[in-house]
Amino acid sequence: MNDVESHNDLAVHFEGVGKRYHHFALEKINLELPTGSIMGFIGPNGAGKSTTIRILMGLLHQDAGAVRVLGRNMPDEQAAAKMDIGFVSEDMRLYGAAPLRWHMEFVRSIYPRWDQPYAEELLRRFDLKPEQKIKGLSHGQRVKAALLLALARRPRLLVLDEPTTGLDPVARHEVLAELMAVLADEQRTILFSSHNTLDVEQISDQITFIDRGRIIDSDDKEIFLDRWRRLRLQLPPDGAVPKLPGVIEVGGSGRLPVLTTNRFEPAMVYACNELGATVQAVDTMTLEEIFVANVQRKRTQEEREEVTV
Amino acid sequence: MNFTMVRRLILKDWYLQRLPIALSLLGGVAAMAVLVLGGKAGFTLGLILLVTVLVASSAISTTNLTVLERKEQTLPFVMSLPISFREYTAAKLIVILVVFLIPWSVAMGASFAVLALSPTHSQGLIPYVAIMGSEMLMSTCFIAAVGLITESQGWTITAVMIGNVAINGIGYWVAHIEGVSQYMFGPVMRWTPAAGALLFAEYASIALMLGGTFLVQSRKKDFL
Repeated sequence: MNDVESHNDLAVHFEGVGKRYHHFALEKINLELPTGSIMGFIGPNGAGKSTTIRILMGLLHQDAGAVRVLGRNMPDEQAAAKMDIGFVSEDMRLYGAAPLRWHMEFVRSIYPRWDQPYAEELLRRFDLKPEQKIKGLSHGQRVKAALLLALARRPRLLVLDEPTTGLDPVARHEVLAELMAVLADEQRTILFSSHNTLDVEQISDQITFIDRGRIIDSDDKEIFLDRWRRLRLQLPPDGAVPKLPGVIEVGGSGRLPVLTTNRFEPAMVYACNELGATVQAVDTMTLEEIFVANVQRKRTQEEREEVTV
Repeated sequence: MNFTMVRRLILKDWYLQRLPIALSLLGGVAAMAVLVLGGKAGFTLGLILLVTVLVASSAISTTNLTVLERKEQTLPFVMSLPISFREYTAAKLIVILVVFLIPWSVAMGASFAVLALSPTHSQGLIPYVAIMGSEMLMSTCFIAAVGLITESQGWTITAVMIGNVAINGIGYWVAHIEGVSQYMFGPVMRWTPAAGALLFAEYASIALMLGGTFLVQSRKKDFL
C-alpha cells in the first residue's frame, strides 16, 4: 500500500501537532485513527484530551503540524469535514428554552443523511420525550439527547469528548450500550475520550494514552492487555532482583519484589527461574493499572531527564 | 460563504429570541400609541418611552445573541455543525441588526410621521431625531462588536453602559451644535452641512464597526 492509499484509510491523521498556551502545551502529537476503528483516548484531567479533540474538530487552530480528518485539511476545511462528523462533548449544552423536537428539526435541516426512523428509535431507547424542553431534562437525559442528535445524522466519524462524565451508572450503561450498537457499522469511526478506563475498555479496539500534552503510548487494546503483566517473585536469601529487559518498575519489598513489564513474554518466567528467583504469580493488568503505570513511568522518566539537564 | 447555513442560523436565533422580540414590539407599539395620541406632552413621554424600549431591546437582544452562546455552553453545539466562524459571525450580525431594526424602523417611521404631519409639532426636529435614532443604531453595532469579539459578559455589559451614557452625552452635544440647534425648534425641516456630516459620520462608524468585527472574527484561531 502506498502513502496516498494508506492516508485514505485514516479517518484522523495528526502529524507533529502542537498548540501552546501560557501554562500548557500540546507537543508533537502524532495520531492515526484508521477508518472503522474505535479509539479510546485516555488521559488524566488537564492532559490535553479536549484540546486535541478541538483541534481535530477545527475549533482550535494548531500552532504547528498538520491535521487531516476524513481526507480534509483542518482547520481550513472544517465546515466541510463537520458535515460527516458527530460531536458530543461533556461541556456541550443544548438550548434550554427549546424542546428536543425543535433541536431534531434544526439538525435535520442541516444534514441530508439525517435518519428520522433511527432518531425516533433512539427517542424510545433513551426514553426521551421530544416535546420536553431541554432545561427540564436531567444531566443524563441531556447527554442522551446530544448523542441522539449526533447519531441520527449518520456521521462517518463520531467524536465523543468525555460523554459519560457525571452520568449515573444506569445512564452510563445505556449510553455505552448504544455506542456498542453503533459499532456494528464497520465503516463508522469513533474517537472516545475519557478518564474512565472502564468505559473505554468496553468499547475501544485501540487505546491512546495522553499525559501533560504528550501522547505517551498508543496501540491495539489487546496488545496492551497482552504485553503488560506483573510478576510476583520470591527471591532466595541474599538474592538480587533479576535484571530483565522490558521491566519498567520494581515494586514490592525485600524478598518479595513485584516486577511490572510492558513487554511480557512467557520466556521471562524461565529467565527469572534461571536467575534464582521463583515466580509466584503472573498477574494480568486492567487498563486502568496499565494507564497509571504508563503515566508514572513517563513522569519519572521526564523528571530524571530534567535532573540530568 | 454558505448562505443557506447562515439563513438557518438566523432562523435559529430568531426562534430562540422570539419572546424578547415580541416584548420589544409590544413596548414599541405602546410607546407609539402614547406618542401619536397623547398630544404635545404625550409626544415627549412617548419619545422617552420609545428610546427606553429601543435601548432595552438593543441591550437585551445583543447580549443574548452574543454572550449567552458561550455562557450557557451552547457554542460547542453550534460550532459542531458544518459552519465556519465567518458564517457564524455573519449570522449573528445579521440577526442582531434585524432584531433591532424592526422596532427601530417602526419607531423612526412613526416619529417622522408625527413630526411631519402633525400641525402641533415642529418639523425642525426631524434631523435631530434622525441623528439620535442613528446613534442608537450605532450604539447597538458597538455592543454587538464588543460582544462578538470579546464573548465576555463583563465587557458586553460595559459596552451597554457606554452606549447608554453616550446617548445622553451625544444627545446633549448634538443639540448644542449650531448647525443643528438653530433650526431644531423651527417649523421647517433644515438639513444643514453639520447635520449631514454627523449622520454620515454615524453610518461610516457603523460600517467600520461591522467590517472590523467581521475581520477580527475571521482571523480568530480559537473558537472554543
